Amino acid sequence: MQLKISVQDGAPIYQQIVEQVKYLVAAGRLKPGDDVPPIRVLAEQLRINPNTVARAYLELEREGIVTMRQGLGTTVTQVRTPLPRREKLRILAEPADVLLANARHLNVELEEVITLLRERDAAMLPESFK
Amino acid sequence: MKFPSPSSAEAVIAVSGLSRHFGPKAALDDVSVFVPRGSVFGLVGENGAGKTTLIKHLLGSLKAQTGSVRVFGLDPVLDPVGVLGRVGYLSERRDLPSWMRVGEFMRYTQAFYPGWDEQYAGQLLEQFQLDPAQRIKTQSQGQQAKTGLLTSLAYRPDLLILDEPSSGLDPVVRRDILEAIIRMVAEEGRTVLFSSHLLDEVERVADHVIMLQRGRVVLNGRTEEVRRGHILAVLAFAKPPAAAPVVAGAHAVAGYGSEWRVLFGGSRLELETAAASVGARVVEERTPTLDEILVARAGGKGS
Amino acid sequence: MHVGRLAWRTPTGAMLWEIWGRHKLSFLWQGAALAASVFFAQWKEHGASKDVAPLLIMASCICFLGAYLYLLTSFAYIEVDARRVQLGFPGRLLLKPLSTARLVLAPMLFGGLVIVTVFAIWTELVLRHFGSVATSDLLLISAVLLSFFWWMQALAWSLPLLKGRVLVLLVVGLIHLLVAIPPQMPVRISSGCQWRILAALLVSAVPAAWIGLKGMREGRWEGPSRISVLWGRLGSARAQGARKSFGSAFGAQFWLEWRRQGLLLPGISGGMALLMVPGILTGLKWLGAGAGPQDEIQRMMLILPLLVLPLVLSLLMGSALARFDPLHSMGELPLYIAVRPMTNGGFVTAKLAMALATSVLTWLVMTAAFLCVALMGKETLLSKAGLVTPYGPVAFITGCVPGLLLLVIWTWRNLVAGMGAGLTGRTWIIVAFIFSRVLLLDALILLVATAASNVNFRQALLHWLTGILTVCLAAKLAVSIAAFAWGLRRNAITARAVGWIAGGWSVCGLLVAGYAGRVCNSIRQPDLWIWVALGGLLILPLADLAIAPLALAWNRHR
Repeated sequence: MQLKISVQDGAPIYQQIVEQVKYLVAAGRLKPGDDVPPIRVLAEQLRINPNTVARAYLELEREGIVTMRQGLGTTVTQVRTPLPRREKLRILAEPADVLLANARHLNVELEEVITLLRERDAAMLPESFK
Repeated sequence: MKFPSPSSAEAVIAVSGLSRHFGPKAALDDVSVFVPRGSVFGLVGENGAGKTTLIKHLLGSLKAQTGSVRVFGLDPVLDPVGVLGRVGYLSERRDLPSWMRVGEFMRYTQAFYPGWDEQYAGQLLEQFQLDPAQRIKTQSQGQQAKTGLLTSLAYRPDLLILDEPSSGLDPVVRRDILEAIIRMVAEEGRTVLFSSHLLDEVERVADHVIMLQRGRVVLNGRTEEVRRGHILAVLAFAKPPAAAPVVAGAHAVAGYGSEWRVLFGGSRLELETAAASVGARVVEERTPTLDEILVARAGGKGS
Repeated sequence: MHVGRLAWRTPTGAMLWEIWGRHKLSFLWQGAALAASVFFAQWKEHGASKDVAPLLIMASCICFLGAYLYLLTSFAYIEVDARRVQLGFPGRLLLKPLSTARLVLAPMLFGGLVIVTVFAIWTELVLRHFGSVATSDLLLISAVLLSFFWWMQALAWSLPLLKGRVLVLLVVGLIHLLVAIPPQMPVRISSGCQWRILAALLVSAVPAAWIGLKGMREGRWEGPSRISVLWGRLGSARAQGARKSFGSAFGAQFWLEWRRQGLLLPGISGGMALLMVPGILTGLKWLGAGAGPQDEIQRMMLILPLLVLPLVLSLLMGSALARFDPLHSMGELPLYIAVRPMTNGGFVTAKLAMALATSVLTWLVMTAAFLCVALMGKETLLSKAGLVTPYGPVAFITGCVPGLLLLVIWTWRNLVAGMGAGLTGRTWIIVAFIFSRVLLLDALILLVATAASNVNFRQALLHWLTGILTVCLAAKLAVSIAAFAWGLRRNAITARAVGWIAGGWSVCGLLVAGYAGRVCNSIRQPDLWIWVALGGLLILPLADLAIAPLALAWNRHR
């Protein structure tokens, strides 16, 4: 699992980990049942505080993306426990706001943004997931 | 500045109201620091802000003139054995016995600490690529830093105090040292206090950040909270001000013409209020890095 | 900021100003010592009694020697480099746009001028009063001093990192000593030869320094020399063999102290004894096999230096024991020691143990040297030994063992006496300590001299002596108990260490008292015994050792 942490980025480090893991899962690079590196190993690899990694994993577990099991490590969940729809939309609202604000700034029409979203979605998922 | 303290049973380091004068100059002024078990504290500040002085008080090399210093609940001056037996220390200047060989220094250090882990020491020796038969005085700076770190980590101290561990070292050595520290942090109950000028290291590794400026504690809190407590914003003025505008709550103001960049300490609401009071509006904002916060606060421009 | 007068605006001027700026305070002390020397000489000239005169001469010479040696080191232009790795020419000057010739000549010529001038002034003001010395001899000594100074600089500036550098310096010093031997000694070389050798040394010193410094500037000496590499290989082979751990913190600290200074005293004593033994043997042969008491005394006088040597050396080395690391100044606690979880008393006892081990080793070496002389001198000593006691040579030897123990204890005492002052790490305390000891010595000398000359005073003194000694002893015990109590309360020393020190003191005191008793009985002066016993107990350090951990605590926790 290759992650990249940037301190310059405004987002807290644990959040960057959460976002990137979610991306990897969504892109199919992390399949259900795959092992995610233990906290210590990932902390050493990224050279960050293990507590930060622990926090990221807890957040991911809360959102149902990974399952942490005592002694057996952390794996991507086989079956995603469904989050309530409201919760999911709440999570998506913030990056949506950022996207829309940028679009307004750059004077891009909403329709063009939607077309862009469709293109990006197609490019992201591998064949097996469609 | 007084901060709420956890119960003394939890605090590995409890410094309260510490002041220290060297002649007329105040190196530390009413400093209070509480480091709970298992946390990683980053100590930042300009050169001469008092970081090394504070660390020396923790080791018992300096006696508290006013205030109290307790490490593991003990006074390091009255009970050096009780405190130092559980502390690993790497000094900024790598004060090592230059005439000894690495192996000899390891054996010498081993005799003082019953908790010395021979296997772990061997692992570190291999990982740091140090030659036990080499004399310390012929080692490069990076190798000396690694030797110092090895002899501080090998007995698995409960508290690790590092004074500028990465100073003067190349990125490869810095990486090795940071990894060794993180590995130690991952173990239960170990506490780390380190001072550094490399603020991106501090942001990555430290849970808490303490910033000293001219001997006073100006920032003390969790790393993200410290960052989120500041905003780096660009203010646009309707009428370009004649000189640098004075914005209440800003630590640094720089710019030209009608747009001025400001590092503001406070919430977004306070920022907007302050901007409005000088006739400007916020056009851009982001969370600053620790580096930017430190430089801005140290520069002292603005108000 | 206005940077001084025109003279400093030249590079040479700046270099010379640096010497002044760096050593201002020590120049003050040296000036004071020289003034004291002159003062003693004047005192002797104008109305001192015959008995005090030799003491004044000695005092004057000691003051001068101390100041002069310090002067030599001040002008030698040798510094510890920034990485605290070696002593040599100040590295920062090698990067300045100055020719090597100027870098070499400025300190050498100026330093040479200063030391020759100071010596000349001193001979004019002081030596003249002590007796006539031929001008040619004075010139010779000046030239020898100059040559030695220049060679010291030449060697210090080149050959860095070479392990045997000190040895080379000793050999060079020896050569100078041989050249300087005055005509009264039985072994000497002809005057013309002396001057030729000296001229050769003087003339070759400056180019040697230049070559050495040029080599340093071009980096020719960088990296380990071939000898160092070989030595290192031997050392690593040795290091790989010894892998066992120390077992206890005390053991580790003792090892550290031993490695730093353990072999210093035995080495120097042994080395000097080695140099002296041929001289002694020649002297014995020269004296012939005469059997009269006069010849006996002369023979004893020849052997005496061997006995006195370690005692004098240990006295001179006394302050060295307070050092922890060779490249730190005296009493400066390096961090890698200050951070060790060991009580201050622990550090002190490790030093004490090391001092004891060193003393024992030194006297073993001296015994070996003594036996060398005895065996090689054939009839002169060993056979005479049988005549000294009616019980034969074996009894003589067993009689010597307590004597040897006493010498060991005395050497140990010399090493350890000044440790407390040195451990505080404050220069003013060290100076005050030395000053107070010198004062004490002078007072004692004065006391003895007055008692020798004035009969009434002597009788009163002898009458009160027991009382005085007892009061002093009681005071010493009181101070020691107070210091130990304070140390125990502040965790500066463990009870076990206190036990060792107090116990050791008691045992040594008993030894001294016992031996004194036997000696006094055999020379039929039983009342002398109590004075010697009390005096011995007073001289053996107890209060010094009780205060030492507190002194170290004062240094460690500032």
